[in-house]
Amino acid sequence: MTPGKKKLSYSYYPGCSLHASGREYDISTRALFKALNVGLKEVPDWFCCGATPAHNVDELLSLSLCAKNLSLAEQVEGDLAVACAACFSRLKTTQHHLKEDATKRKQVEYAIDGPASLNKPVKHILEILAREYGLAKLEESVKKPLMGLKVAAYYGCLLTRPPEVPELDDCEDPSIMEDILRALGAEPVKWSHRMECCGANFTLSRPGVVLKLSNAILESARLAGADCIMVACPLCHGNLDIRQKEIKEAFGAPDSTLFGSIFGSDLPISTTSEDRRDLPIFYITQLAALAMGVASQSLGFESVIIDPKPLLRDKQLL
Amino acid sequence: MKNKLMHLSNETMNVGFVKKVEALSGSSVRRCFQCGKCSAGCPMSTFMEHPPNRIVRLLQLGQGQRVLAGRSIWYCASCETCTTRCPNKVDLAAIMDALRKLSWDADGPSKESYVQLANRLFIENIRTYGRQYELRLGAIFNMKSGQFLKDLMLGPKLISKGKLKMFHSKNRNISDIEGIFKRVEEMRKKGEAL
Ligand code: SF4
Ligand code: SF4
Repeated sequence: MTPGKKKLSYSYYPGCSLHASGREYDISTRALFKALNVGLKEVPDWFCCGATPAHNVDELLSLSLCAKNLSLAEQVEGDLAVACAACFSRLKTTQHHLKEDATKRKQVEYAIDGPASLNKPVKHILEILAREYGLAKLEESVKKPLMGLKVAAYYGCLLTRPPEVPELDDCEDPSIMEDILRALGAEPVKWSHRMECCGANFTLSRPGVVLKLSNAILESARLAGADCIMVACPLCHGNLDIRQKEIKEAFGAPDSTLFGSIFGSDLPISTTSEDRRDLPIFYITQLAALAMGVASQSLGFESVIIDPKPLLRDKQLL
Repeated sequence: MKNKLMHLSNETMNVGFVKKVEALSGSSVRRCFQCGKCSAGCPMSTFMEHPPNRIVRLLQLGQGQRVLAGRSIWYCASCETCTTRCPNKVDLAAIMDALRKLSWDADGPSKESYVQLANRLFIENIRTYGRQYELRLGAIFNMKSGQFLKDLMLGPKLISKGKLKMFHSKNRNISDIEGIFKRVEEMRKKGEAL
């Protein structure tokens, strides 16, 4: 810590997925912040932000749920750190809308029976790592550089959208994930599908949609020569990791060009079935913590479906 | 639809509906000049019978019922690609939200009830527990949608990996959450909110 400079410290909104199917994202976020000596304190009694389903059918309800969470966050000092891309987008969008629209703000304040807190900065952990902690300091803190690891950085839809809201990075050509990867010593690959949608919450109602969209993402990463994919969203992780075996079964036909022409798939140029290797899906915090020398046992690798350990051993990172 | 031809007259154009969509979404549909950029980038357009640009065109022509009768709005993933790229700042993602709300209010002529069912259960979970209870979400969805075996193999695997919790506790501030739902309903009943 530089003298005179306060230790970085944040309030933390994990969101529902990080307490359930995305638990390794939560575990590794806490481990990483501890390793970097950055404070992280969970907002007491936070509840679901409503994610996509709430604004899909009831915007007022969605805004109210987020506004209430923002006012709960006032109990803990420090800017609000959010790891889930969907929660981040919802909380930021709410602040933005309520600042712009006085009528909605009045309605929401009535619904939550109190003032909406619109000035607590909401920050995604990518932003905290790259800008507040800083890329240079991040690079200095690396104990075990991720040498030789080729990573496809996957942004998905919500991290940088809608354009006027998240302020995280350019909404069509962001680079924040690649910058962090380079600081960690890894090698980000150039690939086509880094901002394409994975099918998101259709995983429950329309899994077929998810299989098709996620397959295109996995294929694109393989073609770019990636060893693995890095995500910052528990939904993307679920779709790419949990459903990867199913995707292989559905699209693993020997000639996927033929498959594509029958099903109108937007696959990139076909790869052969032997080449459909499993791609481990990492959370940004798992890779960063690994580079900071955090023991792999405390990063939740046992909770994922596609085992990343063979790859990490192969690259001498375990 | 029996008659594919669209007859435009004062009787067939539902301008009131379009005004509602514009009020709910805070976005004008008249700005659109049909460049098609929204549909070109939409990951879901292959699943839709009316891709995003056509939805806007139909709204410009007052054809709200035609839009609601189809499945397009239920196949939108809310990825915001369309809104991000529109040269005329048409907020299509917000228009999709508004259309879904109007369909939901009318208990939907939409055929895509699976998506509606999933949304409904998700919101119910917030009201009952405060946070999502993924195991319950999946189980009830399968029961109500009649797909008893769907993802059956996935369940135990996820539980053993600690990804699905068997039990769930309620938030301590559950009464505050109920209050929010109640007051939103109350404002609607009184006509104070859309
Ligand atoms: S991108 Fe905008 S202007 Fe172009 S067709 Fe879509 S809504 Fe209309
Ligand atoms: S928000 Fe919906 S309509 Fe717009 S690009 Fe995404 S899926 Fe398509």
